[in-house]
Amino acid sequence: MKWGMVIDLAKCMRCHGCVAACRIEHFLPFSIAWVKLIAYEVEDKNVVDVTTYAVRCNQCKEAPCIDVCPTEATHRRDDGIVDINSDLCIGCRYCVIACPYQNRTFLSKDKLVNYFPNHAKTRFEKMREKKYPHQIGTTEKCNFCAERIDEGLPKGLKPGQDRAATPACVNTCQARALTFGDLDDPNSEVSKLIVERKATQLHADYGTDPSVYYVDGKIGGKSNIAPEDARTGSHIKEFSSVEKRAKEIFSQSK
Amino acid sequence: MQHTRRQWMVQHEWMVKPMKQTEWIQGEGVLVWLSEVFSSLGTGLYLVSIFLNNWWGALIGYFIVVGIKLPLHFVYLGRPFRFWRALPPFTGAWRTSWIARGFFFTTLYAGFGLIQLITSYLILYPTGLDSSVVNTIFVVDITAKILAGITVVLTAIYCGFMMSFCKSVPFWNTGMLPIVIMNAGIADGLALMIGVGLYFGGVDVMMLEAVTRILLLVNILLIATYLLNATYGTDTAKLSAKELISGKNALPFWVGVAIAGIAIPLAVSLAPYFMGEVSHSVQIFAIVCHTAGAFALKYCILNVGYYKPLLYSEMRK
Repeated sequence: MKWGMVIDLAKCMRCHGCVAACRIEHFLPFSIAWVKLIAYEVEDKNVVDVTTYAVRCNQCKEAPCIDVCPTEATHRRDDGIVDINSDLCIGCRYCVIACPYQNRTFLSKDKLVNYFPNHAKTRFEKMREKKYPHQIGTTEKCNFCAERIDEGLPKGLKPGQDRAATPACVNTCQARALTFGDLDDPNSEVSKLIVERKATQLHADYGTDPSVYYVDGKIGGKSNIAPEDARTGSHIKEFSSVEKRAKEIFSQSK
Repeated sequence: MQHTRRQWMVQHEWMVKPMKQTEWIQGEGVLVWLSEVFSSLGTGLYLVSIFLNNWWGALIGYFIVVGIKLPLHFVYLGRPFRFWRALPPFTGAWRTSWIARGFFFTTLYAGFGLIQLITSYLILYPTGLDSSVVNTIFVVDITAKILAGITVVLTAIYCGFMMSFCKSVPFWNTGMLPIVIMNAGIADGLALMIGVGLYFGGVDVMMLEAVTRILLLVNILLIATYLLNATYGTDTAKLSAKELISGKNALPFWVGVAIAGIAIPLAVSLAPYFMGEVSHSVQIFAIVCHTAGAFALKYCILNVGYYKPLLYSEMRK
Protein backbone atom coordinates (compact mmCIF):
# COMPACT_ATOMS: atom_id res chain seq x y z
CA MET A 1 0.00 0.00 0.00
CA LYS A 2 1.49 3.32 -1.10
CA TRP A 3 -0.58 6.44 -0.66
CA GLY A 4 -0.53 9.01 -3.40
CA MET A 5 -2.37 12.05 -4.66
CA VAL A 6 -3.39 13.32 -8.06
CA ILE A 7 -3.98 17.04 -8.50
CA ASP A 8 -6.03 18.19 -11.46
CA LEU A 9 -4.67 21.66 -12.13
CA ALA A 10 -7.39 22.54 -14.57
CA LYS A 11 -10.05 22.03 -11.92
CA CYS A 12 -8.35 24.07 -9.21
CA MET A 13 -10.21 27.33 -8.60
CA ARG A 14 -7.65 28.90 -6.25
CA CYS A 15 -10.22 28.95 -3.47
CA HIS A 16 -7.49 28.17 -0.90
CA GLY A 17 -9.86 25.73 0.77
CA CYS A 18 -7.09 23.12 0.96
CA VAL A 19 -4.76 25.61 2.63
CA ALA A 20 -7.42 26.49 5.20
CA ALA A 21 -8.42 22.88 5.81
CA CYS A 22 -4.79 21.90 6.43
CA ARG A 23 -4.36 24.84 8.80
CA ILE A 24 -7.37 23.77 10.83
CA GLU A 25 -6.57 20.07 10.77
CA HIS A 26 -3.02 20.53 12.02
CA PHE A 27 -3.52 23.70 14.05
CA LEU A 28 -0.84 25.38 12.00
CA PRO A 29 0.73 28.58 13.26
CA PHE A 30 -0.06 31.69 11.25
CA SER A 31 3.24 31.85 9.37
CA ILE A 32 3.33 28.22 8.29
CA ALA A 33 1.48 26.52 5.45
CA TRP A 34 1.99 22.86 4.65
CA VAL A 35 -0.10 23.19 1.50
CA LYS A 36 0.76 26.02 -0.83
CA LEU A 37 -0.82 27.49 -3.93
CA ILE A 38 1.51 29.08 -6.38
CA ALA A 39 -0.31 31.50 -8.65
CA TYR A 40 1.17 33.67 -11.35
CA GLU A 41 0.17 35.54 -14.43
CA VAL A 42 0.88 34.38 -17.93
CA GLU A 43 0.57 36.91 -20.71
CA ASP A 44 0.10 35.94 -24.32
CA LYS A 45 -0.75 38.48 -26.98
CA ASN A 46 -2.05 40.94 -24.41
CA VAL A 47 -4.27 38.28 -22.90
CA VAL A 48 -3.37 37.57 -19.31
CA ASP A 49 -4.31 34.41 -17.51
CA VAL A 50 -3.56 33.29 -14.00
CA THR A 51 -2.27 29.81 -13.50
CA THR A 52 -2.30 27.96 -10.19
CA TYR A 53 -0.06 25.15 -9.03
CA ALA A 54 -0.96 23.45 -5.78
CA VAL A 55 2.09 22.09 -3.95
CA ARG A 56 2.64 20.15 -0.79
CA CYS A 57 5.21 17.59 0.37
CA ASN A 58 5.55 15.14 -2.51
CA GLN A 59 6.16 12.16 -0.19
CA CYS A 60 9.01 11.20 -2.53
CA LYS A 61 9.90 7.56 -2.83
CA GLU A 62 13.58 8.60 -3.11
CA ALA A 63 13.34 11.47 -0.64
CA PRO A 64 16.50 13.57 -0.16
CA CYS A 65 15.16 14.74 3.21
CA ILE A 66 15.35 11.17 4.52
CA ASP A 67 18.89 10.76 3.25
CA VAL A 68 20.15 13.95 4.87
CA CYS A 69 18.39 13.71 8.23
CA PRO A 70 21.14 13.09 10.82
CA THR A 71 18.86 11.51 13.41
CA GLU A 72 16.45 9.51 11.23
CA ALA A 73 13.69 11.79 12.51
CA THR A 74 12.48 11.98 8.93
CA HIS A 75 11.53 8.49 7.90
CA ARG A 76 9.38 6.67 5.38
CA ARG A 77 6.46 4.70 6.75
CA ASP A 78 5.45 1.38 5.26
CA ASP A 79 2.60 3.12 3.44
CA GLY A 80 5.05 5.46 1.67
CA ILE A 81 4.30 8.56 3.72
CA VAL A 82 7.42 10.53 4.62
CA ASP A 83 6.88 11.49 8.23
CA ILE A 84 8.82 13.44 10.83
CA ASN A 85 9.27 12.34 14.42
CA SER A 86 9.52 15.75 16.07
CA ASP A 87 10.94 14.19 19.23
CA LEU A 88 14.02 13.10 17.29
CA CYS A 89 14.53 16.24 15.21
CA ILE A 90 17.55 18.33 16.29
CA GLY A 91 16.69 21.28 14.06
CA CYS A 92 19.77 21.27 11.83
CA ARG A 93 17.64 22.43 8.88
CA TYR A 94 19.60 20.28 6.42
CA CYS A 95 16.32 18.81 5.14
CA VAL A 96 14.91 22.30 4.52
CA ILE A 97 17.87 23.06 2.28
CA ALA A 98 18.02 19.65 0.63
CA CYS A 99 14.32 19.42 -0.35
CA PRO A 100 14.28 20.38 -4.03
CA TYR A 101 10.59 21.29 -3.73
CA GLN A 102 11.06 23.53 -0.70
CA ASN A 103 8.14 21.96 1.10
CA ARG A 104 9.62 21.93 4.56
CA THR A 105 9.51 24.66 7.17
CA PHE A 106 11.64 25.17 10.21
CA LEU A 107 9.50 26.24 13.13
CA SER A 108 11.47 28.98 14.82
CA LYS A 109 10.25 30.97 17.84
CA ASP A 110 9.24 33.92 15.70
CA LYS A 111 6.96 31.71 13.61
CA LEU A 112 4.94 30.57 16.60
CA VAL A 113 3.54 33.96 17.46
CA ASN A 114 -0.07 34.61 18.40
CA TYR A 115 -2.58 35.08 15.61
CA PHE A 116 -3.30 38.48 17.13
CA PRO A 117 -0.06 39.96 18.50
CA ASN A 118 -0.32 41.61 21.92
CA HIS A 119 -3.63 39.85 22.51
CA ALA A 120 -4.51 36.66 24.31
CA LYS A 121 -4.37 33.38 22.43
CA THR A 122 -7.47 32.45 20.50
CA ARG A 123 -9.44 29.34 21.37
CA PHE A 124 -7.92 27.69 18.32
CA GLU A 125 -4.40 28.45 19.52
CA LYS A 126 -5.13 27.19 23.01
CA MET A 127 -6.44 23.97 21.53
CA ARG A 128 -3.31 23.60 19.42
CA GLU A 129 -1.24 23.24 22.57
CA LYS A 130 -3.40 20.33 23.69
CA LYS A 131 -4.25 18.56 20.45
CA TYR A 132 -1.36 19.23 18.07
CA PRO A 133 1.60 20.73 19.88
CA HIS A 134 4.17 22.03 17.44
CA GLN A 135 7.72 21.82 18.70
CA ILE A 136 9.77 24.98 18.29
CA GLY A 137 13.19 24.23 16.84
CA THR A 138 12.05 21.36 14.63
CA THR A 139 11.05 20.97 10.99
CA GLU A 140 7.51 20.40 9.73
CA LYS A 141 5.74 19.45 6.54
CA CYS A 142 2.61 17.84 5.09
CA ASN A 143 2.15 14.22 6.14
CA PHE A 144 -0.88 13.35 3.99
CA CYS A 145 -2.91 13.58 7.23
CA ALA A 146 -1.29 10.36 8.41
CA GLU A 147 -3.14 10.60 11.74
CA ARG A 148 -6.52 10.47 9.93
CA ILE A 149 -5.36 7.47 7.90
CA ASP A 150 -4.06 5.69 11.00
CA GLU A 151 -7.33 6.33 12.80
CA GLY A 152 -9.49 5.28 9.88
CA LEU A 153 -7.81 2.09 8.70
CA PRO A 154 -8.48 0.01 11.86
CA LYS A 155 -12.13 1.00 11.54
CA GLY A 156 -12.19 -0.50 8.07
CA LEU A 157 -12.34 2.89 6.36
CA LYS A 158 -10.71 3.41 2.98
CA PRO A 159 -8.54 6.50 2.62
CA GLY A 160 -9.54 8.39 -0.47
CA GLN A 161 -13.09 7.06 -0.33
CA ASP A 162 -14.20 7.47 3.26
CA ARG A 163 -13.95 11.05 4.34
CA ALA A 164 -12.91 10.25 7.91
CA ALA A 165 -9.75 8.54 6.66
CA THR A 166 -8.99 10.96 3.84
CA PRO A 167 -6.62 13.96 4.01
CA ALA A 168 -8.42 17.16 5.02
CA CYS A 169 -7.41 19.02 1.86
CA VAL A 170 -8.95 16.33 -0.36
CA ASN A 171 -12.18 16.38 1.64
CA THR A 172 -12.39 20.14 1.39
CA CYS A 173 -11.62 20.64 -2.29
CA GLN A 174 -14.86 21.96 -3.73
CA ALA A 175 -13.70 21.60 -7.29
CA ARG A 176 -12.72 17.97 -6.73
CA ALA A 177 -9.26 18.75 -8.03
CA LEU A 178 -7.61 16.47 -5.48
CA THR A 179 -7.82 12.69 -5.55
CA PHE A 180 -6.24 10.46 -2.94
CA GLY A 181 -5.71 6.72 -2.92
CA ASP A 182 -3.44 3.70 -3.11
CA LEU A 183 -0.80 3.89 -5.84
CA ASP A 184 -0.14 0.15 -5.52
CA ASP A 185 -3.75 -0.69 -6.38
CA PRO A 186 -4.17 -0.53 -10.17
CA ASN A 187 -7.94 -0.16 -9.73
CA SER A 188 -7.75 2.82 -7.38
CA GLU A 189 -8.93 6.16 -8.70
CA VAL A 190 -5.46 7.66 -8.43
CA SER A 191 -3.84 4.84 -10.40
CA LYS A 192 -6.48 5.13 -13.09
CA LEU A 193 -6.08 8.90 -13.31
CA ILE A 194 -2.31 8.57 -13.59
CA VAL A 195 -2.64 6.14 -16.51
CA GLU A 196 -5.66 7.62 -18.29
CA ARG A 197 -4.78 11.29 -17.88
CA LYS A 198 -1.04 10.76 -18.30
CA ALA A 199 -0.25 12.35 -14.95
CA THR A 200 3.19 13.83 -14.41
CA GLN A 201 5.38 14.35 -11.37
CA LEU A 202 6.81 17.71 -10.43
CA HIS A 203 10.44 17.82 -11.55
CA ALA A 204 10.80 14.13 -12.29
CA ASP A 205 14.33 15.07 -13.38
CA TYR A 206 15.39 15.22 -9.73
CA GLY A 207 14.97 11.45 -9.51
CA THR A 208 12.95 11.73 -6.31
CA ASP A 209 9.90 9.86 -7.64
CA PRO A 210 7.17 11.93 -5.94
CA SER A 211 3.87 10.37 -4.85
CA VAL A 212 2.00 13.52 -5.85
CA TYR A 213 1.00 13.61 -9.50
CA TYR A 214 -0.40 16.39 -11.66
CA VAL A 215 -2.78 16.25 -14.57
CA ASP A 216 -3.37 19.00 -17.13
CA GLY A 217 -0.27 20.68 -15.86
CA LYS A 218 0.93 22.47 -18.95
CA ILE A 219 1.94 25.49 -16.99
CA GLY A 220 1.84 28.70 -18.93
CA GLY A 221 -0.11 27.17 -21.77
CA LYS A 222 -3.66 28.02 -22.61
CA SER A 223 -4.66 24.43 -21.96
CA ASN A 224 -4.40 25.14 -18.27
CA ILE A 225 -7.36 27.49 -18.24
CA ALA A 226 -9.90 25.87 -15.99
CA PRO A 227 -13.02 24.46 -17.62
CA GLU A 228 -16.26 26.39 -17.34
CA ASP A 229 -17.65 24.37 -14.45
CA ALA A 230 -14.47 24.78 -12.40
CA ARG A 231 -14.54 28.54 -12.95
CA THR A 232 -18.20 28.93 -12.11
CA GLY A 233 -18.37 26.22 -9.49
CA SER A 234 -21.41 24.76 -11.23
CA HIS A 235 -20.10 21.24 -10.71
CA ILE A 236 -19.91 21.61 -6.96
CA LYS A 237 -22.36 19.35 -5.23
CA GLU A 238 -21.04 19.67 -1.72
CA PHE A 239 -19.85 22.88 -0.20
CA SER A 240 -16.59 23.26 1.64
CA SER A 241 -16.21 21.06 4.66
CA VAL A 242 -13.83 23.51 6.33
CA GLU A 243 -16.55 25.04 8.48
CA LYS A 244 -17.98 21.61 9.28
CA ARG A 245 -14.57 20.29 10.31
CA ALA A 246 -13.84 23.37 12.41
CA LYS A 247 -17.12 22.91 14.26
CA GLU A 248 -16.29 19.24 14.75
CA ILE A 249 -12.90 20.07 16.27
CA PHE A 250 -14.29 22.76 18.55
CA SER A 251 -17.10 20.51 19.70
CA GLN A 252 -14.49 17.94 20.81
CA SER A 253 -12.94 20.49 23.15
CA LYS A 254 -16.09 21.00 25.17
CA MET B 1 -14.10 35.51 -21.01
CA GLN B 2 -12.62 38.02 -18.56
CA HIS B 3 -8.95 38.11 -17.68
CA THR B 4 -7.26 39.69 -14.77
CA ARG B 5 -4.01 41.58 -14.98
CA ARG B 6 -3.25 41.28 -11.32
CA GLN B 7 -2.14 38.45 -9.08
CA TRP B 8 -4.22 37.96 -6.00
CA MET B 9 -4.06 35.75 -2.95
CA VAL B 10 -0.54 34.88 -3.99
CA GLN B 11 1.08 33.36 -0.95
CA HIS B 12 4.05 31.70 -2.51
CA GLU B 13 5.22 33.54 -5.57
CA TRP B 14 8.77 32.98 -4.31
CA MET B 15 8.73 29.46 -5.67
CA VAL B 16 8.38 30.53 -9.29
CA LYS B 17 11.75 32.22 -9.50
CA PRO B 18 15.22 31.39 -8.13
CA MET B 19 15.27 32.25 -4.44
CA LYS B 20 18.18 32.41 -2.05
CA GLN B 21 18.62 29.88 0.66
CA THR B 22 18.54 31.74 3.94
CA GLU B 23 18.65 28.99 6.55
CA TRP B 24 22.42 28.75 6.47
CA ILE B 25 23.41 32.40 6.07
CA GLN B 26 20.75 34.75 7.45
CA GLY B 27 19.66 35.23 11.05
CA GLU B 28 20.85 32.25 13.06
CA GLY B 29 22.30 30.91 9.82
CA VAL B 30 25.29 33.20 10.35
CA LEU B 31 26.40 30.62 12.93
CA VAL B 32 26.62 27.98 10.19
CA TRP B 33 28.76 30.30 8.09
CA LEU B 34 31.08 31.02 11.02
CA SER B 35 31.25 27.38 12.07
CA GLU B 36 32.18 26.36 8.52
CA VAL B 37 34.91 29.02 8.41
CA PHE B 38 36.35 27.95 11.76
CA SER B 39 36.11 24.33 10.68
CA SER B 40 38.19 25.14 7.64
CA LEU B 41 40.73 27.21 9.58
CA GLY B 42 41.03 24.80 12.50
CA THR B 43 41.27 21.58 10.52
CA GLY B 44 43.75 23.15 8.09
CA LEU B 45 45.98 24.40 10.90
CA TYR B 46 45.83 21.11 12.82
CA LEU B 47 46.61 19.06 9.73
CA VAL B 48 49.61 21.21 8.80
CA SER B 49 50.78 21.21 12.43
CA ILE B 50 50.85 17.45 12.84
CA PHE B 51 52.76 17.17 9.55
CA LEU B 52 55.31 19.66 10.83
CA ASN B 53 55.22 18.25 14.35
CA ASN B 54 54.28 21.62 15.81
CA TRP B 55 52.48 21.20 19.10
CA TRP B 56 51.32 24.81 19.50
CA GLY B 57 49.86 24.87 16.00
CA ALA B 58 48.04 21.60 16.70
CA LEU B 59 46.72 22.96 19.99
CA ILE B 60 45.39 26.16 18.37
CA GLY B 61 43.89 24.18 15.47
CA TYR B 62 42.24 21.78 17.90
CA PHE B 63 40.87 24.65 19.95
CA ILE B 64 39.43 26.35 16.85
CA VAL B 65 37.57 23.16 15.87
CA VAL B 66 36.49 21.91 19.28
CA GLY B 67 36.27 25.19 21.17
CA ILE B 68 34.79 27.46 18.49
CA LYS B 69 33.41 25.52 15.51
CA LEU B 70 31.53 22.88 17.48
CA PRO B 71 29.85 25.28 19.95
CA LEU B 72 28.78 27.56 17.06
CA HIS B 73 27.11 24.66 15.27
CA PHE B 74 25.66 23.44 18.54
CA VAL B 75 24.03 26.81 19.26
CA TYR B 76 22.59 26.89 15.73
CA LEU B 77 20.61 23.68 16.22
CA GLY B 78 16.93 24.14 16.94
CA ARG B 79 17.14 21.47 19.64
CA PRO B 80 20.83 21.51 20.63
CA PHE B 81 20.57 19.18 23.60
CA ARG B 82 19.40 16.39 21.33
CA PHE B 83 22.69 16.52 19.37
CA TRP B 84 23.69 13.08 20.68
CA ARG B 85 20.88 11.60 18.62
CA ALA B 86 22.98 12.31 15.52
CA LEU B 87 25.79 10.08 16.75
CA PRO B 88 26.12 6.30 16.43
CA PRO B 89 24.87 4.06 17.98
CA PHE B 90 21.77 6.25 18.47
CA THR B 91 21.32 6.62 14.72
CA GLY B 92 22.33 4.85 11.55
CA ALA B 93 21.93 8.06 9.55
CA TRP B 94 25.68 8.35 8.98
CA ARG B 95 25.19 5.86 6.14
CA THR B 96 23.55 8.58 4.02
CA SER B 97 23.68 11.90 5.83
CA TRP B 98 26.76 14.10 5.47
CA ILE B 99 25.83 16.19 8.48
CA ALA B 100 25.59 13.03 10.62
CA ARG B 101 28.97 11.94 9.25
CA GLY B 102 30.31 15.40 10.07
CA PHE B 103 29.12 15.21 13.68
CA PHE B 104 30.62 11.73 13.95
CA PHE B 105 33.99 12.67 12.39
CA THR B 106 34.26 15.80 14.54
CA THR B 107 33.47 13.88 17.71
CA LEU B 108 36.09 11.25 16.86
CA TYR B 109 38.57 14.00 16.05
CA ALA B 110 37.85 15.68 19.38
CA GLY B 111 38.81 12.44 21.14
CA PHE B 112 41.85 11.43 19.07
CA GLY B 113 43.09 15.02 18.85
CA LEU B 114 43.00 15.40 22.62
CA ILE B 115 44.95 12.17 23.13
CA GLN B 116 47.49 13.27 20.53
CA LEU B 117 47.94 16.67 22.16
CA ILE B 118 48.50 15.10 25.59
CA THR B 119 50.94 12.46 24.37
CA SER B 120 52.85 14.91 22.17
CA TYR B 121 53.11 17.29 25.14
CA LEU B 122 54.51 14.53 27.33
CA ILE B 123 57.09 13.71 24.65
CA LEU B 124 58.02 17.34 24.14
CA TYR B 125 58.22 18.13 27.84
CA PRO B 126 59.26 14.87 29.56
CA THR B 127 58.72 14.83 33.30
CA GLY B 128 61.11 12.09 34.37
CA LEU B 129 58.88 9.24 33.27
CA ASP B 130 60.06 5.65 33.14
CA SER B 131 61.52 4.64 29.72
CA SER B 132 58.91 1.91 29.23
CA VAL B 133 56.16 4.48 29.86
CA VAL B 134 57.81 6.88 27.40
CA ASN B 135 57.94 4.10 24.77
CA THR B 136 54.23 3.42 25.30
CA ILE B 137 53.51 7.15 24.99
CA PHE B 138 55.42 7.19 21.68
CA VAL B 139 53.29 4.37 20.32
CA VAL B 140 50.08 5.99 21.54
CA ASP B 141 51.20 9.34 20.11
CA ILE B 142 51.85 7.96 16.63
CA THR B 143 48.57 6.03 16.64
CA ALA B 144 46.65 9.08 17.85
CA LYS B 145 48.37 11.25 15.23
CA ILE B 146 47.31 8.90 12.43
CA LEU B 147 43.73 8.62 13.69
CA ALA B 148 43.43 12.33 14.45
CA GLY B 149 44.94 13.09 11.03
CA ILE B 150 42.38 10.90 9.27
CA THR B 151 39.42 12.26 11.24
CA VAL B 152 40.54 15.87 10.83
CA VAL B 153 40.67 15.40 7.03
CA LEU B 154 37.17 13.91 7.15
CA THR B 155 36.02 16.83 9.33
CA ALA B 156 37.51 19.23 6.80
CA ILE B 157 35.80 17.70 3.79
CA TYR B 158 32.34 16.99 5.17
CA CYS B 159 31.16 20.62 4.91
CA GLY B 160 31.82 20.59 1.17
CA PHE B 161 30.06 17.28 0.63
CA MET B 162 27.18 18.38 2.85
CA MET B 163 26.54 21.26 0.47
CA SER B 164 27.32 19.47 -2.77
CA PHE B 165 24.70 16.83 -1.95
CA CYS B 166 21.87 19.37 -2.31
CA LYS B 167 20.21 19.08 -5.70
CA SER B 168 17.98 21.97 -4.71
CA VAL B 169 20.91 24.40 -4.97
CA PRO B 170 22.56 23.82 -8.36
CA PHE B 171 25.54 26.09 -7.58
CA TRP B 172 26.55 23.77 -4.75
CA ASN B 173 25.52 20.55 -6.43
CA THR B 174 28.90 19.82 -7.98
CA GLY B 175 31.84 17.60 -7.11
CA MET B 176 34.13 20.62 -7.40
CA LEU B 177 32.84 22.24 -4.22
CA PRO B 178 34.41 19.85 -1.66
CA ILE B 179 37.74 20.16 -3.48
CA VAL B 180 37.58 23.97 -3.49
CA ILE B 181 36.74 24.02 0.22
CA MET B 182 39.37 21.44 1.15
CA ASN B 183 42.15 23.18 -0.77
CA ALA B 184 41.20 26.58 0.62
CA GLY B 185 41.16 25.06 4.13
CA ILE B 186 44.71 23.71 3.81
CA ALA B 187 45.91 27.05 2.43
CA ASP B 188 44.21 28.82 5.36
CA GLY B 189 45.87 26.39 7.77
CA LEU B 190 49.27 27.07 6.25
CA ALA B 191 48.75 30.81 6.57
CA LEU B 192 47.88 30.44 10.25
CA MET B 193 50.88 28.12 10.64
CA ILE B 194 53.13 30.90 9.38
CA GLY B 195 51.67 33.06 12.15
CA VAL B 196 52.31 30.32 14.72
CA GLY B 197 55.88 29.99 13.38
CA LEU B 198 56.48 33.72 13.65
CA TYR B 199 55.26 33.77 17.26
CA PHE B 200 56.56 30.50 18.68
CA GLY B 201 59.41 29.77 16.26
CA GLY B 202 60.55 26.30 15.28
CA VAL B 203 58.91 26.49 11.85
CA ASP B 204 60.54 26.97 8.46
CA VAL B 205 58.49 29.99 7.38
CA MET B 206 60.15 30.15 3.95
CA MET B 207 59.14 26.58 3.21
CA LEU B 208 55.59 27.27 4.37
CA GLU B 209 55.39 30.32 2.13
CA ALA B 210 56.54 28.26 -0.83
CA VAL B 211 53.79 25.70 -0.22
CA THR B 212 51.22 28.46 0.37
CA ARG B 213 52.19 29.96 -2.97
CA ILE B 214 51.45 26.71 -4.76
CA LEU B 215 48.16 26.24 -2.92
CA LEU B 216 47.06 29.80 -3.67
CA LEU B 217 47.75 29.25 -7.36
CA VAL B 218 45.78 26.00 -7.21
CA ASN B 219 43.06 27.95 -5.38
CA ILE B 220 42.81 30.46 -8.23
CA LEU B 221 42.55 27.63 -10.72
CA LEU B 222 39.94 25.75 -8.70
CA ILE B 223 37.73 28.78 -7.97
CA ALA B 224 37.90 29.91 -11.61
CA THR B 225 37.02 26.41 -12.83
CA TYR B 226 34.23 26.16 -10.29
CA LEU B 227 32.68 29.45 -11.42
CA LEU B 228 33.17 28.67 -15.10
CA ASN B 229 31.61 25.27 -14.58
CA ALA B 230 28.60 26.91 -12.90
CA THR B 231 28.01 29.13 -15.92
CA TYR B 232 27.78 26.02 -18.10
CA GLY B 233 25.20 24.48 -15.80
CA THR B 234 21.59 25.32 -15.11
CA ASP B 235 20.19 28.85 -15.29
CA THR B 236 20.10 28.93 -11.49
CA ALA B 237 23.78 27.99 -11.14
CA LYS B 238 24.62 30.59 -13.78
CA LEU B 239 22.70 33.19 -11.78
CA SER B 240 24.72 32.33 -8.66
CA ALA B 241 28.02 32.63 -10.54
CA LYS B 242 26.92 35.92 -12.12
CA GLU B 243 25.97 37.32 -8.75
CA LEU B 244 29.46 36.57 -7.48
CA ILE B 245 31.25 38.03 -10.46
CA SER B 246 29.19 41.11 -11.17
CA GLY B 247 26.14 41.12 -8.91
CA LYS B 248 25.32 41.93 -5.31
CA ASN B 249 28.07 39.68 -3.96
CA ALA B 250 30.79 41.00 -6.26
CA LEU B 251 32.24 43.18 -3.50
CA PRO B 252 32.86 40.38 -0.96
CA PHE B 253 34.03 38.14 -3.78
CA TRP B 254 36.52 40.48 -5.46
CA VAL B 255 37.66 42.36 -2.37
CA GLY B 256 37.38 39.54 0.16
CA VAL B 257 38.19 36.39 -1.78
CA ALA B 258 40.22 37.59 -4.77
CA ILE B 259 42.21 40.51 -3.33
CA ALA B 260 42.42 39.85 0.44
CA GLY B 261 42.28 36.07 0.33
CA ILE B 262 44.46 35.37 -2.69
CA ALA B 263 46.20 38.37 -4.32
CA ILE B 264 47.72 39.94 -1.20
CA PRO B 265 49.00 36.67 0.39
CA LEU B 266 50.33 35.60 -3.01
CA ALA B 267 52.10 38.93 -3.53
CA VAL B 268 53.64 38.76 -0.04
CA SER B 269 54.80 35.18 -0.58
CA LEU B 270 56.38 36.19 -3.91
CA ALA B 271 57.94 39.39 -2.52
CA PRO B 272 61.20 37.74 -1.31
CA TYR B 273 62.05 36.94 -4.95
CA PHE B 274 62.00 40.60 -5.88
CA MET B 275 62.53 42.63 -2.72
CA GLY B 276 64.43 40.38 -0.36
CA GLU B 277 63.02 39.29 3.00
CA VAL B 278 59.74 40.91 4.04
CA SER B 279 59.13 42.22 7.53
CA HIS B 280 57.06 40.35 10.12
CA SER B 281 54.39 43.04 10.11
CA VAL B 282 53.86 42.55 6.36
CA GLN B 283 53.68 38.79 6.86
CA ILE B 284 51.14 39.22 9.65
CA PHE B 285 49.13 41.56 7.41
CA ALA B 286 49.13 38.84 4.73
CA ILE B 287 47.93 36.24 7.28
CA VAL B 288 45.10 38.53 8.40
CA CYS B 289 44.12 39.10 4.76
CA HIS B 290 44.25 35.36 4.04
CA THR B 291 42.02 34.64 7.04
CA ALA B 292 39.58 37.37 5.99
CA GLY B 293 39.54 35.67 2.58
CA ALA B 294 38.49 32.42 4.25
CA PHE B 295 35.50 34.18 5.82
CA ALA B 296 34.64 35.84 2.51
CA LEU B 297 34.85 32.62 0.46
CA LYS B 298 32.39 30.74 2.66
CA TYR B 299 30.13 33.79 2.88
CA CYS B 300 30.05 34.11 -0.89
CA ILE B 301 29.35 30.42 -1.52
CA LEU B 302 26.58 30.28 1.07
CA ASN B 303 25.06 33.62 0.13
CA VAL B 304 24.64 32.87 -3.57
CA GLY B 305 23.01 29.50 -2.94
CA TYR B 306 19.88 29.86 -5.04
CA TYR B 307 17.14 27.26 -5.03
CA LYS B 308 16.09 25.99 -8.41
CA PRO B 309 12.53 27.24 -8.90
CA LEU B 310 9.69 24.77 -9.14
CA LEU B 311 8.04 26.10 -12.25
CA TYR B 312 10.85 28.04 -13.86
CA SER B 313 11.69 25.59 -16.61
CA GLU B 314 8.05 25.19 -17.59
CA MET B 315 7.57 28.94 -17.67
CA ARG B 316 10.45 29.39 -20.07
CA LYS B 317 9.05 26.94 -22.57
